Amino acid sequence: MQSGADPAAGSWERFELLYRTCRDDVFAYVSTLLRDRAAAEDVTALAFERAYRRRVTFDRRRGQERAWLFGIARNAALDELRRRRRLATLVAEPEDVTAAGVEDGAEVALRRTAVRSALATLPARDREAIALKFHAGLGNGELAQVLGISETAAGTLLYRAMEKLRRACDATT
Amino acid sequence: MPPEAAAALAAIDATLAGEPVDPRYAELAELALILRDERPVVGAPFAAELDERVARRFASPARPASAPRRRMRGWWMGSAAGLAAAAVAVVAVVVLAGHGGGASSSASSSAAAASAPAPRSAAGRNKPLTLAAPAGHGSVFGPNGRAKAAAGPASASSSASTASSAGSASAAGTLGTGPAPTPVPSGKRQIVQSAQLALSARPDRIDDVAQQVFNVVGNEHGIVQSSTVTSTGNPNGYANFELSIPSANLAQALAALSSLHGATVLSRSDATADITGQVGGAGQRLAEARALRRSLLKQLAAAVTTQQVNSLKLQLRDADASIASDLSTLRGLQHQVAYSRVSVTIQAVAAPPPVSHGGGFTLGRAAHDAGRVLVVVAGVALIALAVLVPLGLVAALAAWAGLALRRRRREQALDLV
Repeated sequence: MQSGADPAAGSWERFELLYRTCRDDVFAYVSTLLRDRAAAEDVTALAFERAYRRRVTFDRRRGQERAWLFGIARNAALDELRRRRRLATLVAEPEDVTAAGVEDGAEVALRRTAVRSALATLPARDREAIALKFHAGLGNGELAQVLGISETAAGTLLYRAMEKLRRACDATT
Repeated sequence: MPPEAAAALAAIDATLAGEPVDPRYAELAELALILRDERPVVGAPFAAELDERVARRFASPARPASAPRRRMRGWWMGSAAGLAAAAVAVVAVVVLAGHGGGASSSASSSAAAASAPAPRSAAGRNKPLTLAAPAGHGSVFGPNGRAKAAAGPASASSSASTASSAGSASAAGTLGTGPAPTPVPSGKRQIVQSAQLALSARPDRIDDVAQQVFNVVGNEHGIVQSSTVTSTGNPNGYANFELSIPSANLAQALAALSSLHGATVLSRSDATADITGQVGGAGQRLAEARALRRSLLKQLAAAVTTQQVNSLKLQLRDADASIASDLSTLRGLQHQVAYSRVSVTIQAVAAPPPVSHGGGFTLGRAAHDAGRVLVVVAGVALIALAVLVPLGLVAALAAWAGLALRRRRREQALDLV
């Protein structure tokens, strides 16, 4: 987290602020991508540790801190996927589904279960785009920066992923 | 991006922002809201643990998987730095070694230049000039450097005979600046000495330097066996001398020839050969021949028959011939000992020879040395760059390829899920 004028000033404070604003988003994204809570926790911790170690290498001219952090998290998650080379289990907890059903009613619960199931059937690239958009809350520009593609390509990727998800939901219902 | 896709994405962004959307995108909006609500939530224990680690600034020991990687990275960095340092050291050693050889030659030149040249005008010397004296018709020069006689073999022989008595005394003579010959007891060992001297001079000073050579030969009572001087004023001018210098004066003669005004010593080599055995053998044969002659003369005095007289006279002629041959051989050897052969070549060079103003420290010498140091340093740096730049390019290419491969494998990991 190096600014152009004062590279070292407040690097810890900036990192701490980044951690507090992005911790849950990073975990949500990694968890959706890996579909394994335990692995997601390890990768999230590793991502923040790497970001802390490399905070002086951040160059604001190359993008926002948030996108930089998610790039680190993505690399750590992909390394984890390469290491495991196996399919992760679904991240959703059964009790969460039950809780949602109690609150929102049976129809909404069914709809959420269908979305969850459909999301699990999507290819990893589509699931990643959806996770970055809806679970991590990234804008289209940040999403493009994390994936290393243009913003137009990122929008197209997200649109197609949503179309696939909608068709998968219709198929499950 | 298709307009429909752009509109759908805009509807999604509006939904997430809490803004109303077109009814056509109601299903998409509902899907977006469900996805947002379905995001995984961090567990409280993990959140607390991570908060604590962050508060400690990750001070706990690194993950076991990271440590070897960091050590490996440090090893690679250390190896690369060591390799680069070794390459620079090797290049420096090679360059300095190569420069050292040049320095030796340069030192030789400086030794000559240290006692050399006073500027002297060589006006009117640009015309071609060739002086040649055939071998065996050596010119003997007096102290004034002018030829006393263009003598033939008899004169040279006479000179050799005259100087032969001093030959044994000069047998143990050593060269002033060259490698000292093996020390031998004076008057016992018979040493033949020779030397070759290569000089350089400006094209317009060839004949001037050549005249100085004649002067030195005259001062040292030597003989110019042959000489060729070609002075054209161009870099192709040259002069060759075959000199015969009394061995007793060889050291002084070489010192004088090495410090001629306007000339620089390019190379100098000295050689010695011990011919004590040959001289002794020739002397022994001569003594035996003389003893035989004396014996024959006694027998001739006592001879009574004509046949005996004729036979003894025949043997006496053979003995005389043997004595003359042995005497000639002995004199030739003594002449070799008494007179040393010196070959001098003068080559014209375009650049003026370096001028030395003595061994003291001067600003000019300091600037010259500083320039040499800078040239050597620049050369070392250039060669080091020539080595390191390709290595750096290869390393950069390897690093780029490694990163690309790593990125590709990471992307492939997505396709495996």
